[in-house]
Amino acid sequence: MIQLSKISKSFGRNPVLRDISLNVGTGEVVVILGASGSGKTTLLRCINYLEKPGSGEIAVGDLRVDCSRARRSDILRLRRKTAMVFQQYNLFRHKTALENVMEALLVVKKLPLAEARRRSVELLEKVGLGAKLDAYPSRLSGGQQQRVGIARALALEPEVILFDEPTSALDPELVGEVLEVIRAIAKEGITMIVVTHEMGFARDVANRVVFMDGGLIVEEGTPDEVFQRPREERTKQFLRRITPEANYSI
Amino acid sequence: MGAPFDIGYVFSFLPKLLETLGVTLLIVAGSLLTGLVAGFLVALPRMYKIPVLRTLSGIYLSFFRGTPILIQLFLFYYGLPEILKLVGLDLTRAPVMFFVILTYGLHTGAYAAEMIRASVEAVDRGQVEAAYAAGMTPYQAFSRIVLPQALAIAVPVFSNLVIALLKDTSLAFTLGVMEMTGKAQTLGALTQHFIETYIALAFIYLIISFTLERLLAAAERRLTRHEIRERSGSAGRFKLKRRGSYRSVWNSLAEADAGKGGGI
Ligand SMILES: Nc1ncnc2c1ncn2[C@@H]1O[C@H](COP(=O)(O)OP(=O)(O)OP(=O)(O)O)[C@@H](O)[C@H]1O
Ligand SMILES: [Mg+2]
Repeated sequence: MIQLSKISKSFGRNPVLRDISLNVGTGEVVVILGASGSGKTTLLRCINYLEKPGSGEIAVGDLRVDCSRARRSDILRLRRKTAMVFQQYNLFRHKTALENVMEALLVVKKLPLAEARRRSVELLEKVGLGAKLDAYPSRLSGGQQQRVGIARALALEPEVILFDEPTSALDPELVGEVLEVIRAIAKEGITMIVVTHEMGFARDVANRVVFMDGGLIVEEGTPDEVFQRPREERTKQFLRRITPEANYSI
Repeated sequence: MGAPFDIGYVFSFLPKLLETLGVTLLIVAGSLLTGLVAGFLVALPRMYKIPVLRTLSGIYLSFFRGTPILIQLFLFYYGLPEILKLVGLDLTRAPVMFFVILTYGLHTGAYAAEMIRASVEAVDRGQVEAAYAAGMTPYQAFSRIVLPQALAIAVPVFSNLVIALLKDTSLAFTLGVMEMTGKAQTLGALTQHFIETYIALAFIYLIISFTLERLLAAAERRLTRHEIRERSGSAGRFKLKRRGSYRSVWNSLAEADAGKGGGI
């Protein structure tokens, strides 16, 4: 269970997150929508302290971190309870697919080699890359790289996986294979916060949709509520802009 | 000037010059070691933007890259003992070799510093973030993710640096060090076969440079085996295809500051 309370963040004098509070229950899939620059990435990056929040509180599982006085050890523990899947995959380029997944198991979780290997092979098979264990990222397609990224995140058995536009760097024909994998792990009850512009995916997979604008959560609800009966004008405008007319009227 | 050309002298000079190869290589090795340590110390404040130290490294870099190595040798050999005398340190009895290695070392350090900084910054920030996101400590992220890739990126620059250093050591004779070039001067003066000594000398430098270059190119291929290689046509040699994250080191020299995001 994730609890964000009153998270604020500014870059210089530019406030990017304004008192954001959000709860995500265990096994829940929350999709964050919003226009470019609304602060979605920043919010995700605050949760694992890739950005330092200005103030607020982050709770993941039994760990509570007060952002105004977080210590290094808090940050490390927070990061060990979360995992992230990046828009640009960010695989370790000098390591094979298998080594990418094993890395944190060996270094962070300090598992024995055989155990780390067994688990990593299993996960790569699960994301359909059983035949690519020894391939370096430079030899993999974007879709394959992102599936390695997902396996790498799963390996840590985190309390939540943070996805930041996992498919928006992909060629259109590769988007499907990655969404399929995310959909499958969502079904297994893994807690996820997903920033995406894939509306179909959001509708199918999300338990809850959160719409952000200008560093605020403007509206949240089930996919039905947000997509079919948006209350806020800003949400309606956003949906009109990104959803083709025909889809929207359904 | 000198005696008529006789190719036989070239061959007889080769072994005589090689007797002093050890001295040349000692200068190269000693300076490289000093240079890498100095380079690291100078690169750190520039990478981490540490206020005062950063300015000092800037001055250091400008001096050693902006003045001729010959002047640096003279300044250190004749000037340093004078300055240190003022603080009561007597260096007048220190061996010449000490000044030679110190000067070449600090000179190399200036180039090594830029090599280190550019190579580290050429490893894309996203991988470091991925390492942090997975719960690695800054030390783990550096040693397991950044360092191996930075090393690979640094090799071609390092190769140039070593070869430049090797050639520069030929100026050490100006302080009276009997390395290869000094020996060649002596042999030439003794026999009046100057051209022959310089041919033999050039040949030896060439062979060493060539060997070093080949060895380091092999090291680079090994360190970058994870990158896609293309067979480049008839030559059949491998060429590294630069991909997104492997921006050329020289590009990143220009974009000094690409740092974004938190870390601890
Ligand atoms: N490192 C940074 N330094 C300064 N400003 C930043 C930085 N990162 C983000 N911003 C600013 O913060 C605001 C929110 O950015 P953010 O990346 O969170 O938006 P986003 O909702 O993820 O947008 P997109 O859909 O384009 O990814 C933007 O105005 C952006 O310019
Ligand atoms: Mg974003």
